[in-house]
Amino acid sequence: MLKINWFSPLPPAHSGIAYYAAQILPVLANRHEVVAWTDQGQVAPELERTARVVRYDPANPPWRALNDADVSIYHLGNHGGIHGGIWRVSRQHPGIVVLHDLCLHDFFAMVFLRILEKPDAYLAALERWYGEEGRRVGEAFLAGGIGAETMGQRYPLTREAVSGALGVITHSRGALEGLHETPASPVAALDFPYAATEESRYLGWMAARSVAPGPPYRLVVFGYLSRNRRLGALLEALAGLDEREQFRLEICGQLWDEGHIRTQIERLGLGSLVKLLGFLPESLVEQKLSTADLAINLRYPSMGEASLSQLQFWDYGLPTLVTRTGWYASLPDDATAFVRPEHEVEDIQSHLRALLADPGAFRAMGERGRQSLENNDPEKYVDAMTQFAAIALRRSPLVTALALAGRVGNDLSAWLHPAASAYLLDRASQEIVTIWPGKPRGYP
Amino acid sequence: MAQNHGLRILIATVRVPFVNGGAEIHAAGLCRALREAGHQAETIAIPFKWYPPERILDQMLACRLLDLSETVGVAVDRLIGLKFPAYLIPHPRKVIWLLHQHRQAYDLWQHPLSDLHPYPNGDDVRAAIHRADRELIPQALRVFANSRNVAGRLQTFCGVQAAPLYHPPQDAARFYARPAEDFLYFPSRINPSKRQDIVLEGLLQTRSQVKVYFSGPADEPAFERKCVALAQKKGCADRVQWLGPVSEEKKRDLYARSLGVLFPPVDEDYGYITLEAMLAHKPVITCTDSGGPLEFVVNRETGLVCEPAPQALAAAMDELWEDRELARRWGEAGRARYSDLRIDWATVLEKLLA
Amino acid sequence: MRVLILTSGVPFTRGGAEILAESLRDAVCAAGHQAEIVTLPFQSCPPSRVPEQMLACRLLDVTESCGMRIDRVIGLKFPAYLVPHPNKVIWMLHQHRTAYEFWDHPAAGDLIHYPDGQVVREAIHRADCTLLPEAKAIYTLSRNVSDRLRRCSGIDAEPLYNPPANALLFHNGPAGDYLFFPSRINSVKRQWLVIQALALCREPVRVYFAGEADNPAQQAECAKAQRELGLTNQVTWLGVVSEEQKCEWYANSLGVVFPPLDEDYGYVTLEAMLSSKPVITCADSGGPLEFVVHQHTGLVADASPQSLAGAMDALWADRRRAAALGEAGRERYLDLKISWENVVDKLLC
Repeated sequence: MLKINWFSPLPPAHSGIAYYAAQILPVLANRHEVVAWTDQGQVAPELERTARVVRYDPANPPWRALNDADVSIYHLGNHGGIHGGIWRVSRQHPGIVVLHDLCLHDFFAMVFLRILEKPDAYLAALERWYGEEGRRVGEAFLAGGIGAETMGQRYPLTREAVSGALGVITHSRGALEGLHETPASPVAALDFPYAATEESRYLGWMAARSVAPGPPYRLVVFGYLSRNRRLGALLEALAGLDEREQFRLEICGQLWDEGHIRTQIERLGLGSLVKLLGFLPESLVEQKLSTADLAINLRYPSMGEASLSQLQFWDYGLPTLVTRTGWYASLPDDATAFVRPEHEVEDIQSHLRALLADPGAFRAMGERGRQSLENNDPEKYVDAMTQFAAIALRRSPLVTALALAGRVGNDLSAWLHPAASAYLLDRASQEIVTIWPGKPRGYP
Repeated sequence: MAQNHGLRILIATVRVPFVNGGAEIHAAGLCRALREAGHQAETIAIPFKWYPPERILDQMLACRLLDLSETVGVAVDRLIGLKFPAYLIPHPRKVIWLLHQHRQAYDLWQHPLSDLHPYPNGDDVRAAIHRADRELIPQALRVFANSRNVAGRLQTFCGVQAAPLYHPPQDAARFYARPAEDFLYFPSRINPSKRQDIVLEGLLQTRSQVKVYFSGPADEPAFERKCVALAQKKGCADRVQWLGPVSEEKKRDLYARSLGVLFPPVDEDYGYITLEAMLAHKPVITCTDSGGPLEFVVNRETGLVCEPAPQALAAAMDELWEDRELARRWGEAGRARYSDLRIDWATVLEKLLA
Repeated sequence: MRVLILTSGVPFTRGGAEILAESLRDAVCAAGHQAEIVTLPFQSCPPSRVPEQMLACRLLDVTESCGMRIDRVIGLKFPAYLVPHPNKVIWMLHQHRTAYEFWDHPAAGDLIHYPDGQVVREAIHRADCTLLPEAKAIYTLSRNVSDRLRRCSGIDAEPLYNPPANALLFHNGPAGDYLFFPSRINSVKRQWLVIQALALCREPVRVYFAGEADNPAQQAECAKAQRELGLTNQVTWLGVVSEEQKCEWYANSLGVVFPPLDEDYGYVTLEAMLSSKPVITCADSGGPLEFVVHQHTGLVADASPQSLAGAMDALWADRRRAAALGEAGRERYLDLKISWENVVDKLLC
């Protein structure tokens, strides 16, 4: 059993991570002694019943109290306002960082530029990971010459977020490459946790769906619909299908540019087939998902991280269309229908025709998706998290060793003659490794 | 006016285990003076081994890794660095009072007994020492040197300025004068850099029956043998006495009763002996390349400065031996000069703690 | 042999460790060797300084000086005992306590107040485990320290007792009307516990405290407790006393009360035994328990004012028994053969 400090947004915060925390904290608190630290004004009362919630001031973290725990777990996402305080605590008090987003440029822009008002720190971070080029694009960004989206894609600053951490957890195997695991700081990719709705309810949804089977087949799109959700391609694909009358598309969620989409729908003559329903309340979400035939969950470019909505679709046994990129590319072949980024319209049309030809195959795909949610069992997630924490804790002296090596390097660069630096850097490293060997005796 | 009492001061120096020398005396004197002036003072002595050369680099880094800025939450007001590499220890209010740099990397680079030059990496280590001194010495609040000689070397090799700051020898108040007897006194450790050998060669050439007493331990057996052999030549033996290591009291007695003091080392950093002689009201014979002593001995006023050659030394010894009154007058002038130079701990503390 | 004694010291402080290092040096010299003490300055806050100083120690070279071998080094304290040497023996006074048993101590804990305190603590633990076994042999100040070392680092080490300073000066004298408690005044030595116990005593027990407070607040607290409990006559503060005076106070006491919390060793216990005086201590006092035998050389009470009061009353009420316990204490000291010769033998063999 561990004593855990947990730092994340909590319900009722409007954040997928708060939802995730609500799922995980009860399971975690069953196994360990958990304190959820928060600087939110409000925390959902149900949560306070499952774990101890303690308020803290990010400007003045309670180190004494934090040091009573065995390990601190920090959840980071791309929103500087929500996660900035958490990240700053994590820098001073090393712990395990759970990355919910991999592209963190927006996060750092907000933290360095708006919250801390330290443009130098922002530029230094870019230089640290991307060299001279990083500094230059950072300056261009500050001058307004480069957009945030481009910055986010090309200079995600992921490693800045985890520098000095005892360990890193992500929910996407693809993230592992970009994170450079070291002996000091292990990295793990865990299946994103999701507690599937109980079977009886699911069977109810299946029954409802079979009561009024298509055609027309009900296609749904959900969520915050920005450009990378590929609505344009979807509408074009639908418009270009001879069989388009066999489909109805419901777009549920906030549109990035509603005017543009409406214009496109009109231009393509899809007015009778496509409805814009806006953001739906919980009750209507269930109704839509339980009666839909196919969820369109395209994303390109992808920011890399796992998608809660994908798991939610599978919860409903819905077959899905995803872009073969990022996390989605790792989804099982038999539970997902893939669309290639360079052949979007073609692939969407091909899948829609396939649905017409063999709706049963698609239903089966949806069922397999639902079954695969076993891997996402929150209990399994907490198991994996616990094991990982134990490994990271055993390695924590190496984090100290690394920090020491960094400080030694800094001091030496101020006064050590190049002729002697190879020797002394090597000597210092060797000695640091002697004190804290990578593979301590008796440890795995 | 800054309140300069009750400060917490650390003195940083190095120590070679089981070897006691001038550096220990200097640090001890400073520590005592600080405490007597009402400050809290302690000496930090880092053990130093300078061979093989890469060890020097290790210990430079070790010094950089120490933190003496505060103890138990209370600030350390000053760090006074005396010796390499201890003066590299970082501190926001550091004052360096250089006894000398690591001479084997500087003026003694190609000295036959160098522990640096003969090694394959000696050059690299020397370059590293130079760079470190150049970068880090100026980070101190103030830089002083034991003498103009030491300051001069720092300026020449590193382009760093230091103000000379003299200090009294151990037990300065205990030196005294007595009527001169028939001997010149050479109280230094016996080793080649002190040049007892050319004094002995000079002795063989004197007109008069000059007598010389040598005291002090012998650092090098080979050199000691050479000196003893010289002393035994051609009737010199009855004019030379080897007293070996003597107590401080005995040493002061010998100073007091001597006719004059011989101290012709090569490029001495400072030279307590010169000051001890002056405190004992005795003239000093030294050489033009002796370094530190030249900052105190004024030729033909407080003693004699001659070429570092046996004939020149012989002439100098004869001059004192044959004119006792001259020797006495020069000795008195030496004592007066000592006072004029304000060589006292109060002055030292004033400068170090300003 | 040329022997270096390596210890760590906080500048401007002087305590038991300094005295012990000096006594060890003198004993090694008395046995015919050359010995010197090397005290490396140690600053334990902020925590990031600690790994730096550990590395600094590892970079030193004390294998030789001026071409002559240094035959043995004796490491006494962290991090000085990390300095490498092929012939190193550790005589551990204690590990870096705020990384171990003092981690969350209300007064002494310091790492725990820093954001990086935990990782540095882990780093210290790991380094001790890895590097302590480099030594040819590891001894400790006491069984208490050995037990802690085994618990925390899994390392076995033999306790090696040393005599208190000026052992020969301690002597017996006619028992007077006071119990003696000589020690630095702070919350760990627990003068406050004795004061609270005094308020509960049935006998007219008096206690003489000798020593000075670590800081003025500590003294003030004790004085306050004394006032609040109305103990004007029962408590006397002797302040700092000379060694000779201390011996006299011991000699003329009825007994010694010494109930510190988890003391490493406790010279006071030995001084009392040498003075043929019974010792009252507590069940959680650590070091003293290795010497005090309950009902034989003294009394071991629970760490509560009531229990301690009971022990003080017991001694006060039966002076003959007190004397007998004291005599037995002295005999026990002699039986234990605690001597510098023994220490030097073990450390240099």
